Amino acid sequence: MDSKVEHEHASLADTSLVLETLEHDQLVSAKREPVPRRRLKRGELALVWALRLYLVFMLVVVFWQAWIAVR
Amino acid sequence: MSAGAQPERRLRVLSADDEVVVTHEDIDRAHDRARVSAARRGRTLRSRAWLLWLLIGPGILVMLGENDGPSMLSYAATGAKFGVGFFIPFVILTFGMAVVVQEMTVRLGAATHRGHAELIFERFGPFWGWFSMIDLAIGNFLTLITEFIAIRAGLGFFGIPPWAAVLVALAVLFSALLSHRYWTWERVTLVAAAFNLIFIPVALMAHPHWGAVGHALVSWKPLPGFSNDTLMIVLSDIGATVTPWMLFFQQSATVDKGMTTKDIRFGRIDTLVGAGLAAAAAVGAILATAPLFGHISAENFQAAQFAQALQPFIGHIGASLFALGMVEAGIVASITISTSSAYAFGEVAQRPHSLNLPVKEGKSFYAVLGLCAAAAAGIVLIPGLPLVFVVLVVNVVAVLAMPPALVFLYLLVNDKQIMEGVKSPAWMNALAAAVVVVLTAAGVLYGISVVAPNAFAWMGRL
Repeated sequence: MDSKVEHEHASLADTSLVLETLEHDQLVSAKREPVPRRRLKRGELALVWALRLYLVFMLVVVFWQAWIAVR
Repeated sequence: MSAGAQPERRLRVLSADDEVVVTHEDIDRAHDRARVSAARRGRTLRSRAWLLWLLIGPGILVMLGENDGPSMLSYAATGAKFGVGFFIPFVILTFGMAVVVQEMTVRLGAATHRGHAELIFERFGPFWGWFSMIDLAIGNFLTLITEFIAIRAGLGFFGIPPWAAVLVALAVLFSALLSHRYWTWERVTLVAAAFNLIFIPVALMAHPHWGAVGHALVSWKPLPGFSNDTLMIVLSDIGATVTPWMLFFQQSATVDKGMTTKDIRFGRIDTLVGAGLAAAAAVGAILATAPLFGHISAENFQAAQFAQALQPFIGHIGASLFALGMVEAGIVASITISTSSAYAFGEVAQRPHSLNLPVKEGKSFYAVLGLCAAAAAGIVLIPGLPLVFVVLVVNVVAVLAMPPALVFLYLLVNDKQIMEGVKSPAWMNALAAAVVVVLTAAGVLYGISVVAPNAFAWMGRL
């Protein structure tokens, strides 16, 4: 690969170490690339919605019961 | 000279196709990984042990971190209310559930090099991402409050005033961050977490009946009666071992540590060792308070009250160790939970998020970490607040929030596009599905107990 190295402040030894020891997608700059979006299938969507509604309902129950207990 | 002393160093490698900026965080992580690579080249037993030492951390921290203030109180209440019996093997089983779930986060972090919050946001979109973040933020903040309640109560046993107790905890939390190096932070926190094992000598001081312990482990007996109280303890003990912050923390810590797919086996050992140590401490807490069974009603006891009640059975030294154990549990959990919040915030806000960052480059990361801890600590000092409300709900909220979190974990860890050939095996998926079913069923039973409080008494009579 035709590449150019620009030194700002880092030492070449450190840079070589980074490029030798880290996998490309471990680099901070590589992580700026987002992971591609995936659409949830119909069954998955139904499951996550069901669990979301379950959580909201149960949280109301818990907070209500704890409030009664405290009072 | 270490990389940590040169925060401003940056270098660009430019090519025709892309540009790579090597940051301070990359350099620090590369130094850690270079040691791992060197250890991996060795074939002797000593080099394998050194490699294991280098790669352990996130698993032990997450498991001992989850043995936090409310969890240890839950185990103490279990021992005091039910003695030696069903709950000893049950608590060990809950740690087995935690291993199944946490192993998936190691696999996911090592394969994708992304945190849990980041992956949910990017893979499934901000709509589901925000739901997960709200669950995490509420759960983490409530739990952090309970950690400071435990610290305040534990140090209160020694006559230390609440403001001083809270300051001591914050001082430990901030000192762990001083090095701005993940490796140092991890080792300091591991040393602090090791004190969780203090519950084992306390249990020995209570002179447990080992025959009864062995019988309980084999037969799961004596069984507790089927009642609302039993259900609350079941839920609290489950919430004491599996909670959403653990998923976010271990995945982010795996990424920050720089682990790759080659390290998954060691990550699994790390998680198993952590679960074993945490289970030993949890059983220790149950055995330590078992002498209270039948003597005292420990309902809504706090850390200091347990320590005081135990004095006639285990002496002043034993009671002091018990109180210190509660303080340690609160401090380590406040470190890991506030770090998990900071990681998640950074991942979602696309701000730098690593314990390898100098303060100058990671202002928002350290600000979130510090503010979460300071706010929770401050709330504990406000007189007249119904803090018992928080203690009552925190473990139950954790159990309820787990199934939705686990479904996303399950979807991600089975996603061929991001898992690079290390997606979860079928048997692990079956176990994870079983964990989701158990947690959801526990939540539903709890709901029934609230809506129809006499239902379990009626069922118990059948």
